[in-house]
Amino acid sequence: MDAGPWRLILFTVEVAAASTALVFVPGVLVAWALSRRGWPGRALVEALVTVPLVVPPTAVGLALLLVLGPAGPVGGWLRETLGWEIAFTPAAVVLACAVVSFPLLVRQARSALEEVDPGLLGVARTLGRGPLACFVEVHAPLAWRGILAGAVLAFARALGEFGATILVAGNIPGRTQTLALAIFQRVQVGREREALLLAGISTAIAFATLLWVELLTRGRERELSR
Amino acid sequence: MLSFDLRLALGGFELRAAAAVGGPAAVLGPSGAGKSTLLQAIAGLRRAEGTVVLGGEVLQDTDHRLWLPPERRRLGLVPQHGLLFPHLTVRRNLLFGRRGRRPGEPEGVHGDFEALVEALELAPLLGRYPRSLSGGEARRVALGRALLSRPRLLLLDEPTEGLDAERARRALAHVRRAADALRTPLLVVTHKLDEALALAREVVLLEAGRVVAAGPAGEVLTRRGLPRGPHPARNANVVRGTVARHDPEAGVSAVGIEGGGTVLVPHDASLAAGSAVVLAVDAEEVLVSVAEPAGLSARNVVAGEIESIEELAGSVYVRAGGWVARLTPAAARELSLAPGRRVWMAVKSHSWRVVVG
Repeated sequence: MDAGPWRLILFTVEVAAASTALVFVPGVLVAWALSRRGWPGRALVEALVTVPLVVPPTAVGLALLLVLGPAGPVGGWLRETLGWEIAFTPAAVVLACAVVSFPLLVRQARSALEEVDPGLLGVARTLGRGPLACFVEVHAPLAWRGILAGAVLAFARALGEFGATILVAGNIPGRTQTLALAIFQRVQVGREREALLLAGISTAIAFATLLWVELLTRGRERELSR
Repeated sequence: MLSFDLRLALGGFELRAAAAVGGPAAVLGPSGAGKSTLLQAIAGLRRAEGTVVLGGEVLQDTDHRLWLPPERRRLGLVPQHGLLFPHLTVRRNLLFGRRGRRPGEPEGVHGDFEALVEALELAPLLGRYPRSLSGGEARRVALGRALLSRPRLLLLDEPTEGLDAERARRALAHVRRAADALRTPLLVVTHKLDEALALAREVVLLEAGRVVAAGPAGEVLTRRGLPRGPHPARNANVVRGTVARHDPEAGVSAVGIEGGGTVLVPHDASLAAGSAVVLAVDAEEVLVSVAEPAGLSARNVVAGEIESIEELAGSVYVRAGGWVARLTPAAARELSLAPGRRVWMAVKSHSWRVVVG
């Protein structure tokens, strides 16, 4: 039995939202750390963060499977101590989306944070703010559009995630199947009209989100040029 | 009392500056001398090696691994163009760093929001956002924001840069009034001699990252061996004095100079008799005569023996009777000027600038 298109859409959006929520705080913190200069290992962290963006998503999925699978170090431990299964569950879909979309959030948020005049942050420091308070009260509020644009981009990327997901979560209808996986499956079984419909729905959702990012970024340019 | 001894390398530029100042002070130097870098290092916004001691408290001493971050130095920075937080209203900018009065600290305008808003004429601006403010308004808000944090020392970076003469004069008046009312010592960084004199009694001359002279303004600026090159202090005669009397009929006011002598300046009724003033005249405005001038319109003439003659960058600097004059090499040759020779130095009343009244 296949899940109806509405259930598919709902599940895909839920997974993408959960993945974005999962990466948001760590992603913004990493972006902030990368936007600050002069600490050792910055280049290394930067490369590590960007890797999921450039390696084949299937390689990311394979790595996740090795770590989270029942025989993997994390998956095995979770299974023994808590009785949790991760691989081939909706949680694995969320994790796969999170890993793949994390670099997009970090890169976008980082460039927004770097656009803020460092002089303003210096003044905030002289006015008694430590680095964290300075980030919360000045740096993040001035970069919020870029940070939000990064989150939306990460969300859009998660909507279309395929390669990492199919390896670590499989393509189980009604359980781990997202829109992207469903299109693949429909084509394989020769239901091309259905596949086309799902592809159209995916495109519409992605287009709407990206349009929103574009509008957000435009607004930021206006704000800076004032 | 502020003393610092700082070392900082930035690309090809090296700052190595040490000085101790008490009371309001100015760091004066041409652009590119490292003035703003020095200010940032004192504020802790740039990590420099060395020591900074303010009123007996060590803010940093890197040899002993002590380095207070900027938020623990309690220095009030007023950046060059204000640098207000664009996402906050003027009111919230002002209150951003507000600190309450500590037990035992004297009362003043500090911490007292209403009094400060009045002193700096900020009331009409409170609900506005920084992007709608003029340059002068933004600086006033930045000054108020720094003062409300009750700093132990106010750091001003080029407080009148980009303002026209009238706005610059008002901006300086605001700084003086506010700093006086709070008894907050200040350190101003500037490339304008008049601005340094208007705000500070002590001057640190900075050039190419090095301190070339430091001490009371009157002493430093008239001292021999001033920095070479296009230094703002290079070509000026600066004197402190007290307004002695006014002669509206003759159109002059007489100023008694510290260390003796009188200078006549154009009549200015706004200078109260007995008030302290600082006067400045550029070296190129000073005439040198080898005979006692007769029939000369200049009202200020002093006699003296030539102390030194220095040729720099196509000009000859002659020091005599406490003044310095800038001449062309041809003029110096024609008059056969030589150290020890008796000369008369003449300055028109209108050449004097009253920098602080």
